[in-house]
Amino acid sequence: MPDVSTQTPPRELDVRPILKSGGEPFQAIMAAVQALEPGQGLRLLATFHPVPLLQFLANRGFDHVSREIGDGDWEVLFTPQGAESPVEISYDADSPEAWPDPGLHLDLTDLDPPEPMVRILAAAERLGPGEVLFALLSREPLFLFPELVARGLQWVGNFDEAGATYRILVRAGRAKG
Amino acid sequence: MQGATLSRWTMAYFAAACLMLLAGQGLMVAGYGYPAADIAAPETLVLVHVLAIGWLSLLMAGALLQFVPVLVARPLSAAPLAAPALALLLAGLGFLIAGFVALSGATDLPLFFMPLGGAFLGLGFGFVAIILAATLFAARPLPLPACFVATGVVALLGAILLGAAFTLVLSGVSGNPFLARLVAGGVELHAVLGLGGWLSVTAAGVSYRLLSMFLLSPETERPTSRAVWWVVSLAIGLVVAAVATVLLAVPGKDVLFVAALLLTLAAGVLYSGDVRQIYRARRRRQAELNIRASFPAFAALLLSIVFVNIPIVRTGEGVAAITYLFVFGWLTGLGLAQLYKIVAFLTWLEAYGPVLGRGPVPRVQDLVDERQAAVWFVLYYGAVAAATLALFWGHAAFFRAMVLLQTVATLVLMREFVRARRLSAVPAATRAPAGFVRPHLFCPPSASRR
Repeated sequence: MPDVSTQTPPRELDVRPILKSGGEPFQAIMAAVQALEPGQGLRLLATFHPVPLLQFLANRGFDHVSREIGDGDWEVLFTPQGAESPVEISYDADSPEAWPDPGLHLDLTDLDPPEPMVRILAAAERLGPGEVLFALLSREPLFLFPELVARGLQWVGNFDEAGATYRILVRAGRAKG
Repeated sequence: MQGATLSRWTMAYFAAACLMLLAGQGLMVAGYGYPAADIAAPETLVLVHVLAIGWLSLLMAGALLQFVPVLVARPLSAAPLAAPALALLLAGLGFLIAGFVALSGATDLPLFFMPLGGAFLGLGFGFVAIILAATLFAARPLPLPACFVATGVVALLGAILLGAAFTLVLSGVSGNPFLARLVAGGVELHAVLGLGGWLSVTAAGVSYRLLSMFLLSPETERPTSRAVWWVVSLAIGLVVAAVATVLLAVPGKDVLFVAALLLTLAAGVLYSGDVRQIYRARRRRQAELNIRASFPAFAALLLSIVFVNIPIVRTGEGVAAITYLFVFGWLTGLGLAQLYKIVAFLTWLEAYGPVLGRGPVPRVQDLVDERQAAVWFVLYYGAVAAATLALFWGHAAFFRAMVLLQTVATLVLMREFVRARRLSAVPAATRAPAGFVRPHLFCPPSASRR
């Protein structure tokens, strides 16, 4: 599959323990989907082939590949359909697919603007050289982008498949010398 | 550069616009123009153009220079044209006013100032249109709010071309019979293209984005909003067709004009429904003052559209009262309410953007005093309502008294804008963290940092 969607390693979620204890894994799955980074996929492990879920996530813009992995268990790899929500990359960002996993996750979706911008800049100030942070916002932070670039921070971001949440990775520049 | 940066000249546009609003209201308080003079008298033309070009168009142009990049998520194209455009618009307005004053017989200035003003204004608005059109063109496919701006720019060009043609005839420079027919039958079309097509359609379009931004409502594209765009675009098309009928002296102008007004009524009803929905879907529990102070403006919009569709009101003296409600209740009310937020936000970003995250900084709401300003918004709208009624019933003295009250309210609100620019309301302890940028009152920042 083209674009960066396959280059970020998929998040893994094993709901077999929940299912075996008689629980309902839907909440956990939705939480995992919400927390996906731009273009990131989800690898789901379940005790059966979750057909209703396939349709549900297809409606939210995910393709899937399923395979049986023995003992009746299934592995399903969900990947976002990249065309729906193009990934934006700051012009100074070199190969975001090679960035390390973010060491910091911020959920800023409930904050009134411009507070998310303030929080991201504050967190970015504390990043070490080459370190990455990940943040969720309720809208595209248009006034943040130039400020990040002015500070030598690289970013890559896009909307989630539902178009409701903006996801951004911010990376501090490499140490000089 | 991606995203949106601060537009360098927006504050200068806003400052000039505010001064023109004060000038226009001052003229009315002094009894200049309608109702003391005839509705079509040169004195009234002075008044109308100080307000429509000096106040409303400069305000809208300045706001679009800042917010079209937000609508389309890309930077402004041809941005260096913004400063010469402002200079041309101010010079053009000056010449146009001088020409109208000459026409009134108050001085013996040359009437030629009128077409000269028309030419300068054509160039200035042309520059603004180039900036907006180039930015929108580069951002296709356009999100819906930007489509409204595109329609507004088309109407602006129509209004300007008509206005420029009028100046040629009124100054005696041209005796062309086609143009003479335009002056005789096209004045209301010129006004509708300017106040409705350019200022209102654009304001409504931008409001879709800004309202959901300020209220934290989901930015879904409603079918009703798309219908509003289609309907107003069609209405503007009908007005342009009406201009053609006047030019060619063929019948049909009145039918087209009435149909356009009816379409506007439909659009107004749909738009009000959209605004209600955006407000109901908000995630911010308490709407800020700029939103609350916009509600009377939406009501004034709907009321004036309803009244202008009643033939007996439209054709009599009532049209002046409707226009007053439209200009001061809807356009000016919305403009002042949004300025209240925009000036504070842009100032906050300019002053504290460079140091965000590096230490404590004030919040945007620390730059203003909402409770005090709310009182003045109430007084403002109260005065507008009373002045509208005074015009309707023909009480000239009471009208001037109400405009005076209205002027005082706008003056106090402008003082609030100045205080926001000067960071006067911010507690001294947090006002000036190391590395912050002290904003100029209205001049652009000295140099782009880094």
